[in-house]
Amino acid sequence: MAGFLTMAKKEFYDIIGEKKFLLIFGTLLIVILVSTFQGGLQYSSSQSSTTTTTTMPGGQVPGGQGPGGNQTRPIQFMGSVSGLSQALSSMVTNFSLVGGVLAIAISFDTINSEKQRGSLKTLLSYPIYRDSIVYGKYVGGLLAVALVSVVTFMAGIGVFLGVTGLALTMDTVLRLLIFFGVSLVYMAIFLAIGLLLSIVLPQPSTSLLASMIVWLSSIQLIPNLGYAIGQILYPVRMTFREGGPSFTMQSGFTTIRAIISGLSPSTAYENIVNSILTTSELQFTSNQATIVSVSVDKALLTVAPSLIYFVGLLIAIFAVAYIIFTRQEIR
Amino acid sequence: MGPIIELKNLTKKYGNLVAVDHNNYQVMEGEIFGLLGHNGAGKTTTILMLLGLIPPTEGTAIVDGADIKENPLQARRNVGLLPENAGFYDNLNAKQNLSFYAELADVPEKVASDRCEKLIDMVGLGDKRPVKVGAYSRGMKQRLGIAQSLVREPKVLILDEPLQGIDPEGTRDLREIIRGLSKEKGVTIIFTTHVLYEVNRLCDRVAIMKNGVIAGLGTIPELRKQVNAAEGEDFEQVFLRYQGVV
Repeated sequence: MAGFLTMAKKEFYDIIGEKKFLLIFGTLLIVILVSTFQGGLQYSSSQSSTTTTTTMPGGQVPGGQGPGGNQTRPIQFMGSVSGLSQALSSMVTNFSLVGGVLAIAISFDTINSEKQRGSLKTLLSYPIYRDSIVYGKYVGGLLAVALVSVVTFMAGIGVFLGVTGLALTMDTVLRLLIFFGVSLVYMAIFLAIGLLLSIVLPQPSTSLLASMIVWLSSIQLIPNLGYAIGQILYPVRMTFREGGPSFTMQSGFTTIRAIISGLSPSTAYENIVNSILTTSELQFTSNQATIVSVSVDKALLTVAPSLIYFVGLLIAIFAVAYIIFTRQEIR
Repeated sequence: MGPIIELKNLTKKYGNLVAVDHNNYQVMEGEIFGLLGHNGAGKTTTILMLLGLIPPTEGTAIVDGADIKENPLQARRNVGLLPENAGFYDNLNAKQNLSFYAELADVPEKVASDRCEKLIDMVGLGDKRPVKVGAYSRGMKQRLGIAQSLVREPKVLILDEPLQGIDPEGTRDLREIIRGLSKEKGVTIIFTTHVLYEVNRLCDRVAIMKNGVIAGLGTIPELRKQVNAAEGEDFEQVFLRYQGVV
C-alpha cells in the first residue's frame, strides 16, 4: 500500500521523539519497576516464612494431615495459591492505569492535529489512499506502544526475577508472553479509542478530554456501575440472628457485576491477566480444601469469552475509526 | 496544447447550499489559470473536488486523463497542491519536511535529496536549512509550501491563495517561479487569489466565480470586453462588475 510505510515510520519517530511520550514512558517504567520490586519482595517472604496451615470448618486442616484429611501439602500464601498472579498484581494494576494513559497520550490528536496544522489536505493531495494514512498512523503508534511494552516488561520481569531468584520455566515464560500480548492489545484498544476520537472531534483539546473520560469510565465508572446495578437488581440481604446481623450476597449480584464490569477494557484486562497468571487455586469440596494447579490451557479456556470480547472491541473501534475517516469530507 | 483539466457539470451541494453549480470549462496544458471569486464563491471546493478530496454531488472532472470520480488516485498523481494555510511538521526542518513528502510521492531517495535541496534554494530558504519549521514565519512557511507542491514535479500545480502572508519580495519571487514553471517547464498552474493586481500580471485566462456559478471566463481583455470596461479601468473594477457590486 503506497505511503503506508512512510506514514508508519514518520508516526513512530514523531511519537518517540515527543516529550509527553518520554514523560509517560518514564513514569510507567518507574511505577512498574517499583511495583515488581515490591511484588518480588512479598513473593520471596511468602515463600520463606509464611508456610501456613488453615483450619477449615469441621476442624480440618486443608493441605495438612487433619482429622480425616488426606492432603499432605501445606498452603503457602502468595507463593503457591495464585503464584504469579498475586506477585505481579500491582504490575497488572499499574499497567492498566498508566498504559491506558500512555496509549491515549499517543493517539488523542492523531488526525485532528493534522487538520489543525493544515497538513491533512497536503497529505491527501498525494497519490496515496486514505487507508495508508489511517493504517500508517495506527501502526506507528502501535510500534511505539510495543516498544514501551517490551522495555517495561523486560525491566519489570527482570527485577522480579532478580529479587525472587525464581528460575524461569516454560510454563512461566508462556504465561508472561500471554500477559505481554494481552497488555499490547489493551494498549492498542486505547490507541484505537484515541484515534477514533481524533477523527470525530475537530479539536485536539476536546479529543483529549473525551479520551480521558473514556479512560476514567474504563477504570472507575463502568466497574462502579456494575456494582450499583448489581445492588439494585440483587440487593444484599440482611438477616438478624443471635450473633447480630448477617449479610448475604445473592449470586445474581456477582454475575451482573461481572458482566457489566467486564465491559470495561481495564477490568477485562485485569481479569484476563490475573487468570493467566494464576498458577494454582484452592478448590473446596464438601469439607475439604485442596490446591490444584491451573494449566495455561485451562486458564485460557476460562478467559476465552473475555479474550474474544477484548480483541473484538479492538477490531470494532478501529473499524469505526477507519470507516469514518475514509468517508470524511476534508474541507 | 490540449486541455489537461476538464470540468463537466461539476456540482457540489451541502444541503440546500450549492457551493459549486454546474461548472463547465477547460484548463489548457501549460497555462496559468486564475480562479477568482469572493470568499465562499466555491473556489476551494472546486480545488478539493479536482483532487478527489470531496466527491462531487453531480457531474465530474477529468484531470490529466483520469476521472476524479472513478479514479481519484490517478487524477491526483500529477497534481501538486499548496493548500490555503498550509501547515508543516514543526519538529522537522525544511529538508526533512520535503523529504517526507517526496517519499510519499515515491520519489527515489537520491533524486529526492537533490530535488529538495534545489527547491529549498529556489524558494529562498537556503539560509534556513537547519532551522525547524516551527520557528518559521508565515511567509517562510508559504515559501516552503510552494517547494512542497513541486517536490513530485507535477504536471498541474494548484495554488490556493499562495500570496497570503507573503511580503512584496516573496510575491515577486513567487511570480517569477510561477512564470518559470509555466513557460519553461510547461506546468499548468491554477491559482486562487484576492490579489487582483497579480492576476492581471500573471494569468493567461481567468474564471470568475459567483455563488458557485462561473460568472466570467476568458483572458483579461476578453473579460474586460464582456462587461464593457472603460479604457484604463483597473481589473479590480472589472472583477467587481462580475460580482454585481459595481
